[in-house]
Amino acid sequence: MAIIIQEDRFSISKICAELSDKDNVGAIVSFSGHVREFSKDKQLKYLEIEHYPGMTEKALEDIEKKAMKNWDVADIRIVHRVGRLLPKDLIVGVIVSSMHRSNAFKACEFVIDFLKTDAPFWKKEISEDSENWVDERQEDIIKKTNWN
Amino acid sequence: MKLKLLFFASLRERFGFSYKEITLAKDVKSPEEFLQLMSLGAGEDWIKLLEDKNLYKVAINQNLASWRAVINDGDELAIFPPITGG
Repeated sequence: MAIIIQEDRFSISKICAELSDKDNVGAIVSFSGHVREFSKDKQLKYLEIEHYPGMTEKALEDIEKKAMKNWDVADIRIVHRVGRLLPKDLIVGVIVSSMHRSNAFKACEFVIDFLKTDAPFWKKEISEDSENWVDERQEDIIKKTNWN
Repeated sequence: MKLKLLFFASLRERFGFSYKEITLAKDVKSPEEFLQLMSLGAGEDWIKLLEDKNLYKVAINQNLASWRAVINDGDELAIFPPITGG
């Protein structure tokens, strides 16, 4: 298990290669979240992501532990960027390895669904003439609730 | 009673700070009581935060909590808008 919060860019394929190198890994599932170029018809200049150091790591560790307990997976990696991100940039990566695909698919979806509502990150969208903090999405709350 | 207060995102911008150690004039039992005390003399922003508190989340010692959860001397209290990462 590993959690990395960083300003720098990162590569999902590099992490997949690392995980595939371990014994008895038959499946790797990854989710990558990217910065969209448009928000409510406005062209985005850049995104600022803020987090709560300490609590973010604790929350993500907790989510990883729950996923490891619920499904038979070999490893879970979470990488989330903070600071200034440009359109199309990779924001977050969740990579899960396991013997068989089904557990990896489920654990990966569980981790990203809980990350969206429980890990303290906030996004601010900056366009040419405005700045606004992103609102929470009802869909994210429903997705998390559906796991109960 | 002392608290370590943290604001994030829009609240950090509104209040103009992200971290402050606060010594309270009297003890409070919960984040809600803390807001009530601050709104008595610390300005409009605190009154508005008390009115709108259900739009915001609270964490005590880095764990999500409710506005009526117990807080103790020396605790880290964070107040922030809903989470929007990922």
